[in-house]
Amino acid sequence: MISWTRIAAIIRREYLERVKTKAFWISTLLVPVFLGAVMIIPAWLASRGGGTFTVAVLDFTGRFAEPLRAELDDMLIRQTSTATEALDEAGIIPGEQAETMGEMVEESLLDLTLVPLDSSGDPEAARENAKSRVHSSEFDGLLVIPATLPDEGQAEYVAPNVSAFQMLSILERSVSNVMVADRLTSAGLDPEAVGELTRRVDLRTMKLGAKGQETHDQGQGFMLSYVFMMIIYMTVLMYGIYVMRGVLEEKSSHIVEVIISTVKPFELMLGKILGIGAVGLTQFLLWSIMMVAISAPGAAAAVGMGGLELPAVPAIQIVFFVVYFVLGFLLYGTLYAGIGAAFDTEQEAQNFQGAITMFLIVPLVLMMYILNQPDAPLSVALSLFPFFTPMLMFLRMTLTPVPAIQLAASVVIMGATILAATWIVGKIYRVGILMHGSKPKLKDLWRWIREA
Amino acid sequence: MSDPILEIEHISKRYGDVTAVDDLSFNVPRGSVFGLLGPNGAGKSTTIRMIMRIIMTDEGRILLDGLPVDDDRRRLIGYLPEERGLYKKMKVLEHLVFLGTIRGLKPGESKKRSMAWLEKFNLGEWATHKVEDLSKGMQQKVQFIGTILHRPQLLILDEPFTGLDPINTRALKDLLMAMSKEGVTIVLSTHVLQQVDELCTHICLINRARAILDGRLEDIRTDYGGNVWRVSSDLDEQALGELPAVTNVHALGDEMLVELEPDSEPRELLQALAAHGGLESFTRFVPGLENIFIRVVEEDRSHD
Repeated sequence: MISWTRIAAIIRREYLERVKTKAFWISTLLVPVFLGAVMIIPAWLASRGGGTFTVAVLDFTGRFAEPLRAELDDMLIRQTSTATEALDEAGIIPGEQAETMGEMVEESLLDLTLVPLDSSGDPEAARENAKSRVHSSEFDGLLVIPATLPDEGQAEYVAPNVSAFQMLSILERSVSNVMVADRLTSAGLDPEAVGELTRRVDLRTMKLGAKGQETHDQGQGFMLSYVFMMIIYMTVLMYGIYVMRGVLEEKSSHIVEVIISTVKPFELMLGKILGIGAVGLTQFLLWSIMMVAISAPGAAAAVGMGGLELPAVPAIQIVFFVVYFVLGFLLYGTLYAGIGAAFDTEQEAQNFQGAITMFLIVPLVLMMYILNQPDAPLSVALSLFPFFTPMLMFLRMTLTPVPAIQLAASVVIMGATILAATWIVGKIYRVGILMHGSKPKLKDLWRWIREA
Repeated sequence: MSDPILEIEHISKRYGDVTAVDDLSFNVPRGSVFGLLGPNGAGKSTTIRMIMRIIMTDEGRILLDGLPVDDDRRRLIGYLPEERGLYKKMKVLEHLVFLGTIRGLKPGESKKRSMAWLEKFNLGEWATHKVEDLSKGMQQKVQFIGTILHRPQLLILDEPFTGLDPINTRALKDLLMAMSKEGVTIVLSTHVLQQVDELCTHICLINRARAILDGRLEDIRTDYGGNVWRVSSDLDEQALGELPAVTNVHALGDEMLVELEPDSEPRELLQALAAHGGLESFTRFVPGLENIFIRVVEEDRSHD
């Protein structure tokens, strides 16, 4: 019979010793900062993509320079309003704030000025002359529109820096639009009418909820499930490795025999896993408190962030987020405990540790498939595979209304797997923690399981 | 032997083809200081680990106070393993409280006793330091405090003097003697015979997985010493040889070792010596434990 008072003493030590470390508090503070950075920095960098460019234009057709400038101005203005709209649409930032944000974006947006050069005379000489002016940094680049453009569709951009992608793409689209308009006109068509007729479809995605409600979803749902899935991945891995290191430490410091002379090896293992798991839950709790504090209007204003409204997450997803962390941690933590017991050092344990970590990484690889077909039979099967369930079933929950029977099945299957893993690892653990010196092979582990 | 605190009855342990302990039996009398002796690899640690249920016996049983040792009752024993250590990052007092609680003490009681022991060992000011900040000697003291915190009536120490400097060895011996006086039974395994000579009242000598010698140290000495007496007088070898019941005489420095017929009383010899005059001393010859140890192990080997 196992004794819960003994296990409680182990849990207490594991929990207090870890919660009292600096590492715990640093990771508690840094992970949200890191995740925030992952979400905000790319957006910020994209908005910084702009810069100021002055581009010389050599127009050998003699009729493109002016329409091109108009088109470009038009496109730059559209770019700004698109940014504002996108921010609003994404729902990350509500309307009014999106406008101010849009203005901020505008300031950092591309500023592209075209300077038409004289293209009369010898084309080669004019080109060479313009090139030398680019060389002397008078211009950032040179756009050459050859007389053959409408027929061949080839223009040239000459510059020391040809990797300013955003600027180049806008320039290319402007030239292209002007040229198409020119071709339409010469074919006797009205470019505006054609533009109206050939307007592309804007696919508005509505997420259909379990109760038939529709929510406008344009990626923020995915973003959030991705972040949550990454948190499950990171925490299960991190806390699993903590279990392994804890067991290794007990072996290398030789305290393990002192403890198992009063506590059963199984109780020690269970206490360690549960204690470390409790630390993980504490960290989640602290993160939730931080989230609530940040999204509270008063606090946000004080921080000067203008209030970051988080998309609402259904309560069931929060519940299952915690459930899947707990189950995932119990499963992987148990396996890592077995590895810690079987080996003397982390180096020796590396191969086995890597094999188990692979099970955690595979779901990240399978993610794209599930995203595209969350209800396909293969997706259902993969999400019910206990080693993948914590991440993949959670991902499916955020994408599609998963039938309750599948959720229940996933929990039951994981529970059974955890019990089986605990039973098997318990045997490896019992033998392993007293072994020193020899590095066991898979064959030895199998013998331990059979004989213990 | 009427009141054993610990009874080992026909225990065996095999690992594959290797027999670590083979049908081993012995009793530890209450209040004794019991030395578990034997060459390296004889099965001492395996035996102790089986008593502590760290490994399970294949056969036989182990009784503590007449009842089988189980997972709860083994906590009545204070056990110091050969492989011992502490959590390096824990604070000394918290560590002791933890060791007390896994042995069944309430945290408050555990803390009180830990602090008292730390004070007694002059470690009071180290209570809030991390274990890793302590010297090795201090860590060994903390380790020992953890072993006796729950006031065990039986103490089992596996090679307790290994790694101790002479000062700490002395201190530990004194403490063990003091605890023994208070009635605590102490079982210690060692291969340093000098410590056995100093401390033990009883021994069990294990060689090649079996007990080959077991009993009161005094009795064993007498048995192996035979009817030999140490005489210091002005008689020479030949004169002594002619005295009644004498079978053999050895010169040992200034003294003579006089061996008598097995069942004869030394009184006659003493009277004869006194009659000759010039008798300075007359004592029983006690062989060193080392002699006995080597002799018994050699004999055991020659049985093959």
